Amino acid sequence: MLIDAVKKELQRIVGVEHASFSKEALLCYAYDATNIRKMPDAVVFPKNAEEVSLILKMANAERFPVVPRGAGSGFTGGSVPVDGGVVLSTERMREIHSIDEANLTATVAPGVITWELQQEVEKRGLFYPPDPTSLNFSTIGGNIAENAGGPRAVKYGVTRDYVLGLEVVLPTGEIINTGVKTAKGVVGYDLTRLIVGSEGTLGVVTKAVLRLIPLPESTRTLLAVFPELADAASAVSGIIKARITPSTLEIVDSISIRCVEEYANVGLPKAGSFLIIEVDGTVEGTSKEADEVRRVCLENRASSVDEAVDKKEARNLWKARRAISASLFRIKPNKINEDVVVPRSEIPALVSGISGIAQRRGLLIACFGHAGDGNIHVNIMYDGKDAKESEVAHETVGEVFKLTLSLGGTISGEHGVGITKAPYLAMELGSDAISLMKRIKANFDPNGILNPGKVFAGGHSR
Amino acid sequence: MMNSELLRKEIGRCVVCGTCRSVCPTTRVLNRETSCARGKLTLIGALSNGEIQMSEEYVRHIKECALCGACKDSCPNGVDTVGAFVAARAEIVAKQGLPFAAQMILKALIDPGGLKGTAIKIAGALQGLFLKDASAEAGLVSRFSLPVIGGGRLLPPLAKQTFLEMSRVKTLAVPIAQGTSVKKVAFYAGCGVNYLMPQVGSATLDVLERAGVAICVPPEQVCCGMPAYSMGDKDTARAMALKNLEAFEAYDVDYITTSCATCGHGLKKLFKELLSDDPALSRRVSAFSAKVRDITELLTNELGFIGKAGAKAAEEKVTVTYHDPCHLNRAQGIRREPRALLANAPSLSYKEMRFPCSCCGLGGGLSTTNYDLSIEISRRKAESIALSGAQVVATACPGCIVQLRDALHRYGVDAKVAHVVELL
Ligand SMILES: Cc1cc2nc3c(=O)[nH]c(=O)nc-3n(C[C@H](O)[C@H](O)[C@H](O)COP(=O)(O)OP(=O)(O)OC[C@H]3O[C@@H](n4cnc5c(N)ncnc54)[C@H](O)[C@@H]3O)c2cc1C
Ligand code: SF4
Ligand code: SF4
Repeated sequence: MLIDAVKKELQRIVGVEHASFSKEALLCYAYDATNIRKMPDAVVFPKNAEEVSLILKMANAERFPVVPRGAGSGFTGGSVPVDGGVVLSTERMREIHSIDEANLTATVAPGVITWELQQEVEKRGLFYPPDPTSLNFSTIGGNIAENAGGPRAVKYGVTRDYVLGLEVVLPTGEIINTGVKTAKGVVGYDLTRLIVGSEGTLGVVTKAVLRLIPLPESTRTLLAVFPELADAASAVSGIIKARITPSTLEIVDSISIRCVEEYANVGLPKAGSFLIIEVDGTVEGTSKEADEVRRVCLENRASSVDEAVDKKEARNLWKARRAISASLFRIKPNKINEDVVVPRSEIPALVSGISGIAQRRGLLIACFGHAGDGNIHVNIMYDGKDAKESEVAHETVGEVFKLTLSLGGTISGEHGVGITKAPYLAMELGSDAISLMKRIKANFDPNGILNPGKVFAGGHSR
Repeated sequence: MMNSELLRKEIGRCVVCGTCRSVCPTTRVLNRETSCARGKLTLIGALSNGEIQMSEEYVRHIKECALCGACKDSCPNGVDTVGAFVAARAEIVAKQGLPFAAQMILKALIDPGGLKGTAIKIAGALQGLFLKDASAEAGLVSRFSLPVIGGGRLLPPLAKQTFLEMSRVKTLAVPIAQGTSVKKVAFYAGCGVNYLMPQVGSATLDVLERAGVAICVPPEQVCCGMPAYSMGDKDTARAMALKNLEAFEAYDVDYITTSCATCGHGLKKLFKELLSDDPALSRRVSAFSAKVRDITELLTNELGFIGKAGAKAAEEKVTVTYHDPCHLNRAQGIRREPRALLANAPSLSYKEMRFPCSCCGLGGGLSTTNYDLSIEISRRKAESIALSGAQVVATACPGCIVQLRDALHRYGVDAKVAHVVELL
């Protein structure tokens, strides 16, 4: 609970209309895409770093939690106010400050929607590649905090690879600038990289300088259909072995195909699996690569390989792809959504391992995702009202993680740890590494006011 | 309309993924979670659980909505968001009632030409009072503005002579002679055309004549009921549906056509829902609805209008772009037909705008309940039109025409607005 004096002060800092305490407003800032709900005591909409700084200084003085929030599309509860306190929404910080065409950089506020930035830079023949599937609504601040990535990561990398510098408000209220506005820079520790992926626990990003690249001249989009998931998985290995670097290489299994076709109605084939493959570059280069991809797919028992004839067809295909995650709820009301990564050569082993687990446990597990970089979304479907099934589903998570780690992988490629994965942190990281991380957190945030209860299970410094 | 149990179930199907945030025109302006579908569903759920009351803030958030359907369209989980919002509005009306002016107008609309007498009688009161009255309370007319004059707004005056009063139309107020070899088409005008834009009705009759069909305009027709329905007054909407059904059943035709996207949606889908409680009526309304076509749909798909002689010719081609009315695009799936008509007209050169499908901002009663928000939503549309360089924006809904004219005027965009049929 916040005392009245604190509420008054929050109103003074951001303006009366930009601080809400009503139950109606709080209900709408209690969740993210995990559907975990915890009520905050206030939600504030600051306009700039100075206002953020004042809020954080007060939080230290009065000891209340502050939870940064972008679009609330996170998959691990990162913006859920587990301990109550103040949700700090970046929805008012939506400016693209500048796009520097001479130096290929963009300077943006944290609340800018990923897609809107991409539209703006593409108008100028430039390209901001990071493309989380949520890009139509997620924010740059959220992408930075989660180090989000997407289909294009296989060729272009993830958000981290495009952040040159940041303006960050530290948990104690100081405003610092990290990194550079230049292509290189080695002065001091790389705080930029530390902040990227820190899930809103080390500071609030209030501005970002992002790296842009020239927009590729041509993009070709192919859809390859396979009788079995295993065939598609081996085609993925085949494509990588053939020394082709597609710009995206997405795999979708039969359960996902069924659900999403119901939503999108784009005439997806009924099949065991398919791959969406994009190659980009020069016109000649992509034409050669597209042929090569076609050959490898057919060699791996593809029943057909089609190409999107125009941008619209390609867009439709992507629309369907982006809808998979949410459309899975058509088969079961609940799901556990993991985003494990394995070395690319181990994808066939991962998918066959998971289908084994599903069979043994009697569960439906849908697999799809960014096969090109080994990142597979494993969706364990269950009915929360069925206590037995629910328990089995949750037990299965540990098993999936064990399999992933045994194949040399990691338990989260892009969604982060937040609250949902915090209990599994020790499965992957050694205790020395965890304790170093906790010391870093304590140094940044001695009073534990910024996004408490995240990343580290239970034992938080607060 | 969903009952409270269905409503609760529908809300439970929302998995709070946030996809709907990306398409919501009100959220684009307000930048608040409370205005997007995910937020609204949360609030409706909280009200039904008794976590919150039907507070002023609750009502405000529910009304921050153009009922454009973009969220429903985008939802990967197929949640009927619009159905939920309409049901929530009905709950509000049930509890708080409708503002007086809205009640008056709805009552008047049950009779053919009924608005005219009433509106003229209360015109003085309307013009000053109406906006204020309505904006403070429950939603007003769903898709079209009423003839009111508010501060700085560009609104069309009530037509001196309504469409149904025009002498040309009166001659068509009789059944089509039996045994004719051509297609028989009945025209449904709708309030927008009847009271505000009779010229759109005339232009529709012109193209129908050129298309070589036999035409009638049943004079007993009344409001389609969409405004009453989205305000939550289901009884009035049902009475209107029944009147229209009876009015058109008296005329033996192959097609019933309208040049209003909203009415078309009402005639095709809403009537079925409203009259489904009675099996006999239900059968009759199915036969009725199967004949309904939007005018662009009828011309393109049934009458082979494209390429027919008699089209307007011009020395210099006029550049035209097209705005998709939500009720034609999302509600009826009609996108290709109006474009085909425009692209093939010899006097026009067609250019697509950047965001043709984004809502003009009029719907859901927004233009009367929250004009600032409504006109702010239309800014994006106006910019999109300006960027296209078009001299004329065509659309297929009188409501959109009203809003677009206001928006272009407000944002200083030099382009005319017309119904597709006025350009052919
Ligand atoms: C359908 C769907 C598909 C998705 N697909 C992908 C995908 O392909 N790849 C992927 O990586 N993720 C994906 N996600 C997850 C999610 O969209 C990303 O993690 C995204 O980056 C979150 O952005 P947001 O703006 O919604 O942040 P939020 O969910 O609001 O917050 C996420 C975290 O960032 C912190 N945060 C937000 N803004 C700031 C700031 N300015 N400063 C500091 N911390 C901040 C929050 O405290 C929280 O810890 C998907 C989600 C959905 C619903
Ligand atoms: S897109 Fe559908 S499921 Fe997702 S938050 Fe919106 S209404 Fe809910
Ligand atoms: S109907 Fe339109 S305005 Fe209303 S919530 Fe959905 S997208 Fe937003």
